[in-house]
Amino acid sequence: MTARSDRVLLVAAAAAALGGLAISAYLTVVHYAALPLVCTTTGVISCERVLGSPYSVIAGSGLPTSAAGIVWFSASAVLAGLQLARVPSPRLARWHLLWSVVGLGTVMFLVFVEIVQLGAICIWCTSAHALVVMTFLITVTRVQSATAATGD
Amino acid sequence: MAQRKTAKRTRPPLRKPVSRAPSWLPRELKEHLLPAAATIGVIALLVVAFLAYRYLTTPAPPVISATSASLVISTITSLPATELEQVGAGSANNLIKKVSGTPLTGPGGKPEVFYLGAEYCPYCAAERWPMIIALSRFGAFSGLQTTTSSSTDIYPNTPTFTFRGATFTSDYIDFESVETTDRNQNALQTPTSQQQALVSKYDTSNSIPFVDFGNRYAFAGAMYTPDTLGGMSWQQVADALQQPGSTQAKAILGSANLITAAVCALTGQQPAAVCSGPAIQSIEARL
Repeated sequence: MTARSDRVLLVAAAAAALGGLAISAYLTVVHYAALPLVCTTTGVISCERVLGSPYSVIAGSGLPTSAAGIVWFSASAVLAGLQLARVPSPRLARWHLLWSVVGLGTVMFLVFVEIVQLGAICIWCTSAHALVVMTFLITVTRVQSATAATGD
Repeated sequence: MAQRKTAKRTRPPLRKPVSRAPSWLPRELKEHLLPAAATIGVIALLVVAFLAYRYLTTPAPPVISATSASLVISTITSLPATELEQVGAGSANNLIKKVSGTPLTGPGGKPEVFYLGAEYCPYCAAERWPMIIALSRFGAFSGLQTTTSSSTDIYPNTPTFTFRGATFTSDYIDFESVETTDRNQNALQTPTSQQQALVSKYDTSNSIPFVDFGNRYAFAGAMYTPDTLGGMSWQQVADALQQPGSTQAKAILGSANLITAAVCALTGQQPAAVCSGPAIQSIEARL
C-alpha cells in the first residue's frame, strides 16, 4: 500500500471517529437534558424504544451507553491523529486495531440487544455502529498491508 | 544449492494468485481487502443469526375466547381480600412518588385516577393487571377486552387487557384512561391538553405507563418486569394469581396493593373494608 493510500485511510478513520463522537455526544445530551430525540418511532426503527430500555445505560451505573461511545471514538480519534501527525508507526497501527476489536465486540453485543432483546433498531446507534465497523475495516486493512509489506 | 534456490524464486506462479477477486480492482486492493471482506461476511452472518434467533424465540400471541376472557376478568376482580393482605407489597417495585398540584377531579367530581399508556407497550401490558385488580376494589369495570403487547417489542406478546372502550364506575373515584396506540403502533387516542399538561409536569422521563392519582401521587413505568408473564395465557396468569406464593401473585398483587394504598389516600380511606386492612395501611404509611 502506498503512503498516500495509507494516509487516505487514516483520514477516513479520523473522520469516522469525529462523526461517531458527534453522534455519541448528541445522544448523551439528549439523555441528560431529557430532550426529544430526532428519530422515527414507528415500526421496527424506534430510537425511543432502544434508548428508553434498560440497556441504554451501562449496567450498574446511571451512565448512558452513549458515554462509552464518547470515550471509544475519542480514543480512536487520538490514535488516528497521532498516526497522521507522525510517520506511521506499526505499533500504533496495532493498538488502533486492538481498540477497533474492542469496539467491534461491543457493537456486535449492542446489535444483539437491539435485534434479539428489544426487537427495535435505533438509527442513531446504527450509524455509530457503522462507523465503528468502518474503523475496524480500515485498521485491519492497514495492519494487513503493513504485515504484507514486511513480508515482501 | 544456492543456484537451485534462485531458480525456485524466479519460477512463475502455477496459477493467478487472486483469481476470485474482480479483475478491475487494483492488485494492491485485491491482496489487502481480503480480511475486510471476511469481516463484513462474518458480521452479515451474525446479523442474520440474530434475526433468526429472534424469530424462533418470539412466542406466538396467545388466543382466548370471549367466554374465557370474561371468566378471567371475573376471577381477577374478585380475588379474596385475605389473599391480597397476605401478599402485601410482594415483590413489586414501589414507583409511586408523592407529587403536589391542584387536586385532580374527574367528570363526576370525584378524585381522578388518570392513566396514559399504549397497547404495544409491554410495561403497560404488565401494569394493567394490577391496575384492574386495584381499581376493581373501588368500583367496577365493564367492556374490558383482552389484547397482547407488540409482537416486535421487548417482552413480545405479553398478555393483558386494554382500557380502550372500557368504562369504570365507582362511588369513590373517577378513572380516565388514554391508550395512545394499538399493538401495531397505529394511533388510537390522544390525551386532552389538560392530560398532556399532567404528563409534561409529572412524567419527566416520558415513560409509559404513566398514572396520576389525583395529583397527589404519580408513577411512570411498570412495578414488575413483564417477563413475569412471558409465554403465559390469561387463564394461566389468573390461575397463578389465586396462589399467593406464586411469582405472578407476588408481583401483580403486590403492585395492586401499592396502587390500592395510593387510591385510599385519595378517597379518605374509603371504602373502609378495602383501606383499613393492615397491609394497605402499612403501605400507605410508606408512600
